[in-house]
Amino acid sequence: MFPDNLKYTEDHEWVREEGGACTVGITAFAAEQLGDVTYVELPEVGAAFKKGDEAATVESVKAASDVYAPVAGHVIETNAELEARPELVNESPYDKGWFFKLDDFDPAQLRGLMNAAAYAKFVEEQGH
Amino acid sequence: MQKTPLYDEHLKLGGKIVDFNGWALPLQFTGIVHEHQHTRARASIFDCSHMGEYRIKGQSAIEAYDRQVISDTSKIPLGRCRYGAILSENGGILDDLITFRMAADELYVVTNAGPIASVTDRICGGNPGAEHVSYETAKIDVQGPLAYRMVMAAGFKDVEGLKYFNSLWTTWRGHRVLLSRTGYTGELGYELFMDNDLAPTLWELFCSMEDAAPAGLGARDTLRTEVCYGLSGQDFDSTVTPLESGMAAFIEWETEFVGKEALMAQRNRGDYRELVAVKTLDRRAPRHEFNVTRDGVSVGVVTSGTFGPSLDHGVGLARVDRNVSAPGTRLTAGPKGLPIEVCKIPIYTKGTCRAAATA
Repeated sequence: MFPDNLKYTEDHEWVREEGGACTVGITAFAAEQLGDVTYVELPEVGAAFKKGDEAATVESVKAASDVYAPVAGHVIETNAELEARPELVNESPYDKGWFFKLDDFDPAQLRGLMNAAAYAKFVEEQGH
Repeated sequence: MQKTPLYDEHLKLGGKIVDFNGWALPLQFTGIVHEHQHTRARASIFDCSHMGEYRIKGQSAIEAYDRQVISDTSKIPLGRCRYGAILSENGGILDDLITFRMAADELYVVTNAGPIASVTDRICGGNPGAEHVSYETAKIDVQGPLAYRMVMAAGFKDVEGLKYFNSLWTTWRGHRVLLSRTGYTGELGYELFMDNDLAPTLWELFCSMEDAAPAGLGARDTLRTEVCYGLSGQDFDSTVTPLESGMAAFIEWETEFVGKEALMAQRNRGDYRELVAVKTLDRRAPRHEFNVTRDGVSVGVVTSGTFGPSLDHGVGLARVDRNVSAPGTRLTAGPKGLPIEVCKIPIYTKGTCRAAATA
């Protein structure tokens, strides 16, 4: 149900580690709950976050939600495509709908996040 | 939750069901933005069977009803509808409503689901000619530029010539149906009131039409917000008056009604806030209960807000101090200081509700 190669947070972000950086987005479950995404506010490249800092905002017709840094790190790239096409968050949450990339992160923090099976169980326990 | 006679239809169509004032209703079917766009481009079918309906029969019953509402029902011509409200003694809005003049001695009244118990007390209490018919009445709205074609295709020949904010009783396959050219989307559209058991047949007929699609509460909300129609219980309630809720033009000061004294006192003081339309300058949306500020000082509150799919920017309603209520006034809203601008009503101006109805 959720990709096995990703890590997950209780705030429904996913993280993909590749080439020494972490790519961050929101899960298909979160995108489905939000409905049609209409606006994404991305962080500045160069911004430094602690784990749990507000890093981005995602708005849908129904609501606005914050996206938190799943691990501490520096923003090295953001998905500028989302500014013109926020619907990519719904259409392609794990691929074209990514939000930002972090480097200088702590591998221990990454290891502490949920794997796909644990996240699936977490979502189920939330009553969905 | 109470179920409308169309509940099973919504499940069949994959509707996402939510609790709306105690009623199980579809929030969306295919998606809010898609349903919104479909309504503006073609026409959508809405289940509004949760709403309140009353029949007022006889001259004395009409006079008793008249004293409960801010309208002057004697001024509603035969076949016409009039927007109004029912107030508490202190001028607060119990509910907004529409009064239909069906005959010289008959009115039909449409109210909302939330305050139905207290509204029924006010309309029917001590008035034997007033009958509460909500629970046996279903309501299907057909809204969009193709609505006339669809209602005609369904067999409602009386729709021909029916003008905006007019209504009539008709018969459909032997059943009485009230057909009115009213709506909550800004588009050409009709509301059809019927007995519960007729509703599934008519719903399925509309849904089988080529250009029709069902729409839920989500699209209903974005559509009405773009054209700045207030929602009872959200944009106004018993804590605010019609003067504070964009209803000044609908108050008949020459007639007597419950709440009038308090309303006159407020008008004379002139110190009340006003409900205005606001927009953002990008796709971010103002949200319900966002604090509105100017130069760091609180000047009001957002009562409704969403992304406007037909406008491609945020839209909403806000209750603000009168000195910042002029169109063009720049304000900020919410914890992040979202820039908003007061604008003229309606924000979306391309609605077809007053257009000539033709196939």
